[in-house]
Amino acid sequence: MVTGGKALAERRDSVARRPRLWTSVVRQRRRILDLVQHGYIWLWMLIFVLPFLTTFAYSLRTPDGISLSPYQHVFGSFKDNLLLSFEVTVISIVLNLLVALPAAYAIVRFPIPGKGLLLAILNLALYTPAAVMGISLVIVYNFLFHIAQSLTGLIGAYVVGTYPLMLIPIIVALRDLPQVYEEAARCLGANRLQTLFRVELPLLGPGISAGILLTFVIVFNEFLVTLFVAGPGNTTAALRVFNLTRTAGIQPSTAALASTMQIVSFVVVIAFFRFFGSRYLKGTYLI
Amino acid sequence: MAGSVRPLAVERPRAGLASWLREHRQLVSGLGLLLPAFLTSLLLSVVPLVYLVRVSLTREATFFFTAEHTVENYRTIAERYLPNLWETIYLAGLSSLLDLIVGYPFAYILVRKVRYRDLVRATMMFPLFGPLYLSLGMHYLFLPNGPLAPALNLLGIEGTSLLYSLPSVLFAMAIFTLPFMVMNIGAALSNVDPMLEEAATCLGAQPWQTFWRVLFPLSRSGILAGLLMCFGWNLGVYVQPLVLGTISEQRVLAIALYQKGVIQFDYGLAAAMGVVLMALAFGVTWLSLRLSRGALGA
Repeated sequence: MVTGGKALAERRDSVARRPRLWTSVVRQRRRILDLVQHGYIWLWMLIFVLPFLTTFAYSLRTPDGISLSPYQHVFGSFKDNLLLSFEVTVISIVLNLLVALPAAYAIVRFPIPGKGLLLAILNLALYTPAAVMGISLVIVYNFLFHIAQSLTGLIGAYVVGTYPLMLIPIIVALRDLPQVYEEAARCLGANRLQTLFRVELPLLGPGISAGILLTFVIVFNEFLVTLFVAGPGNTTAALRVFNLTRTAGIQPSTAALASTMQIVSFVVVIAFFRFFGSRYLKGTYLI
Repeated sequence: MAGSVRPLAVERPRAGLASWLREHRQLVSGLGLLLPAFLTSLLLSVVPLVYLVRVSLTREATFFFTAEHTVENYRTIAERYLPNLWETIYLAGLSSLLDLIVGYPFAYILVRKVRYRDLVRATMMFPLFGPLYLSLGMHYLFLPNGPLAPALNLLGIEGTSLLYSLPSVLFAMAIFTLPFMVMNIGAALSNVDPMLEEAATCLGAQPWQTFWRVLFPLSRSGILAGLLMCFGWNLGVYVQPLVLGTISEQRVLAIALYQKGVIQFDYGLAAAMGVVLMALAFGVTWLSLRLSRGALGA
């Protein structure tokens, strides 16, 4: 009787407890799954950053302890390379703007036959592997244009390789921009140029700056086409990193230059994301 | 009827360039705006590539004087450089597959579970700064006194055996192109309604069945586009084998091309290698654009 009542009570308890037990098992399993999934993401985030972190750590390791002394070289013997890199990047950005803005405007706003084929031709350099672009430009610069190893040739190579990346975000931004604004400005008495500079360019800001960002990231870090095309006089910082990798790869100063390049690029990209978001970078090189 | 239409047609100004220009003003100004871009591409992209094909059909060192056409360079490639071609395709293919295996779960979790996407995106910038820094960083990573050495010693692997090897080259190539894979698959997966997965589970499907019968078919376009994009990028691989590879990996076409063209001035052979590489890359790009309808939908 007593044992029977106890059994009954136990059974009642277990029945009452079962749903809670069941949900807690499910919940625990789900928590483990969540942990594994987020762990996977974090693992890969670590792997993405790890090469940079190692380079940075290596750049601080000098024979006499940890110090920033390798960075003296960055602003000493590598200063000219860095300055050339900045100069070339700025010139490329300006030329890209001059080339891509009118082209994007024409593609979106004017009736032009054969747009698909035209875009394919304009984007041709984007799909060409860097080594092929390098050798073809070397041959043409040597035998057809006679501007071998010149700065002009180098900048030309950068412009043709990166202005499609300027073109794409501007086209996206222009397609997003209703033509009403333009028409309203014209109706209110602005002429074509005023409309362009006062109304359209400010509204196209994010698209244009996305193009500037892409050009910056690529030209600033480009070394392979540079390796083919650049003469001995114009070694950009990225090419200097490559040359040093071949000759003095395990020097901390090499690591210091490589870290500086990555830090500069990263700061520019993050600043861009802060100001403009990532909307206009969709479908381009960066995400 | 016909008589009433005719006078109208006669009255319209015809002939003369000026009137034609006035009539097609939109077209003309559009073409004018396109001119700088078109000229840039024509002079620095189309002409060089056409010239590359032409040089590849000339004999070594004779194209300065007379264009003596021959297919000797391509014969040389077929006879002596086939291993280089296979090595290129092998490395690019294998690293793209690695990207797919690693990138699919990554993209899935990123789209479905992760709220800190901006952080993930920020870390994904580092590979995009280029394979050079990546290879250099991995070089430091595997050095005998590098940060990974204690862990590797614990596992009984010597760091230097990883330093110059096929796996490290493949890994560096895969990391460089992983963002492209994640981007493509993520775009495809974010168009798949999570309800479909839930419905499959409710109808009694195991997780692998849900994946194989529901998710995989719906994200196939993203997978194909991602594979082709990674493959296309990795075809032109240059620096990873140079910094991290052995002689066998350093046979890739881009390195052979640089050796022939810039060091030995054998422009004919280098151009032929370039044409082969270009044909491969354009084929892959054409396929991927056909499958994904392009970034601009054009």
